[in-house]
This record gives sequence, C-alpha cells and structure tokens, in this order.
Amino acid sequence: MASPLSSFPRIAVCAVACSRTFSVSAAAPAVQKLTRVRVVDNSPLGNTPYHRPPKVIHVYTKNGVGKMGDTVLLAIKGQKKKALIVGQKMPGERMTPRFDSNNVVLLEDNGNPTGTRIKAPIPTHLRRLEGDHSKLLAIAQRFV
Amino acid sequence: MRIEKCYFCSGPVYPGHGMMFVRNDCKVFRFCKSKCHKNFKKKRNPRKTRWTKAFRKSAGKELTVDNSLEFEKRRNIPVKYNRVLWNKTVEAMKKVENIKQKRQARFILNRLKKGKELEKAEDIKEVKKNIHLIKAPHAGEARKLEEKMVQKLAEDVEMDD
Repeated sequence: MASPLSSFPRIAVCAVACSRTFSVSAAAPAVQKLTRVRVVDNSPLGNTPYHRPPKVIHVYTKNGVGKMGDTVLLAIKGQKKKALIVGQKMPGERMTPRFDSNNVVLLEDNGNPTGTRIKAPIPTHLRRLEGDHSKLLAIAQRFV
Repeated sequence: MRIEKCYFCSGPVYPGHGMMFVRNDCKVFRFCKSKCHKNFKKKRNPRKTRWTKAFRKSAGKELTVDNSLEFEKRRNIPVKYNRVLWNKTVEAMKKVENIKQKRQARFILNRLKKGKELEKAEDIKEVKKNIHLIKAPHAGEARKLEEKMVQKLAEDVEMDD
C-alpha cells in the first residue's frame, strides 16, 4: 500500500515518523470513524511528527458521516482533540471544490481554532459557519 | 462572478458548470466538463492532447502573440470604480472581440494557403505523370510534323524571295 507515486498529485505514506502522512486510497470516502485526516493549520499539535497519523474517533452528526463543515473528534499524539473538516476528498455539493485530501483544522473545546494561521485553501461556502467558527474563517488566508 | 478558463481545454467555465479541484500544493484546477476532468485524472498532458487550445497554441496552429490577446491577461491590480470607464470598457470589449476573431481567422487562413499551393503542384505533377490516360502518346505528332514542314517551306520561300 505504501508505494511511492511520482509528484502528481498524491504523496506516499511513509512507514516511519513523517509529519504529512495521508492515505492514498482508491475510493473517495467521506470522513467517518478511523479515517486518517490531514491537519492544515499551523498548530504545534498538528505539525509535530508522530508515528501515527491523526485519526477520527467520533463524528458529531446524526449519522456517523462527516462532510465539509462538520466537527469531529480526533486522536492526535495520544490526545483527544476536536476539529473541523475544511476539505474532503469525496465530491460534495455542486459548486463546491473537491480537495485532494481530507483537511481538518484543530479546535479548542469552545470552538476557537488552535492554530494561528491556515495556509490551505478553504472553500467559500463554509462562510455559512460565520456564527460558530468566525475566528476560524478570520485566520484563513486563502478562500477558494 | 467570473468566467474562468478550463485548465485542460482552455474553454470558458460559466457559473454553474464544471468542477473545481484543489491539489495539496494549493493549486486550483477548474474543468469545464467531465471530459477534461477525466483526462486530467488520467494524467494526460494538455499540451499533447490534440483537441485542446494548449496544444494548438504550442504547435503554432493558432494565433499566440497579438495585441488583442493582451486584453485577456489577468491583472492583479484593482482599478478604482469609474462609471465612464466601465461603460467605455464594455464597448471596447466588443470591438476587441471582433478584431481578435478576425485576426485569428486570418491567421488560420494564411496557414492553410500553403496547403492550397502544395495541392496545386501535386495535381500538376499527377496529370503530367498520368497523361497517357487522357491523351494517346503519339496523338498529335503527325500534325505537329506537318505544321513544322509547312513553316519550313514558308521560310524557304521567304529566303528565296
């Protein structure tokens, strides 16, 4: 499974400690329990390398499927942390971009983002979360 | 609202059409239809796929350097709103579009002219090669000989005079 592909667009899963590991799978599943995600903010918790990629352990929706804009519980570095899904591999609504990996931004328990900057592009249709996650949208640098 | 360009075929992507894909290096790819998207996923190079504008421009089949194409380039400096400027720009856009189409058509016409000349030369060659299908090999030789003899006689008569 960990076969390195050349540059275009996916990156291989490394066996040993690597900060940016994300799965290379054939299907395009939505985010559910035990999916590996990619943390895109600049929080130390998200960026320090750990031998296991951050995994979803709970999805805060009625069904256990997490789409763009849903909060999830992650297991990172042996800790539990809430996060918001900001990019999914599965094609979503019409007129929303599809990302190459399931991107996630770490949140505190009160809904504030853990990091101070989000360099990855955030879809503009997440602006409907202006009420709950306005701080997250404020630290986003690029909208797509 | 903005009419984007398809990454693969360079066609216009109108609002409500096509798909957008964001790669992990934050590069955004827009596609006008699933044909382009599928080709992209197959890792095809648009510069080698013959039906795309990218191929046509890189192969010199279409107009590449021209003043009228400069207007389409993206400018990253916002211009302060001015109603007169806005109206004038709309009129200018129509004119520029007109000129651009004419120039592009002219370019292609000139490019295809060479083909017509080559075709003509080929046809002449073919006729010369296969003239035996139209005219018998010794068809007019008797008459030509007769005319030559007549001419010679006439010259002899003149010289004698």
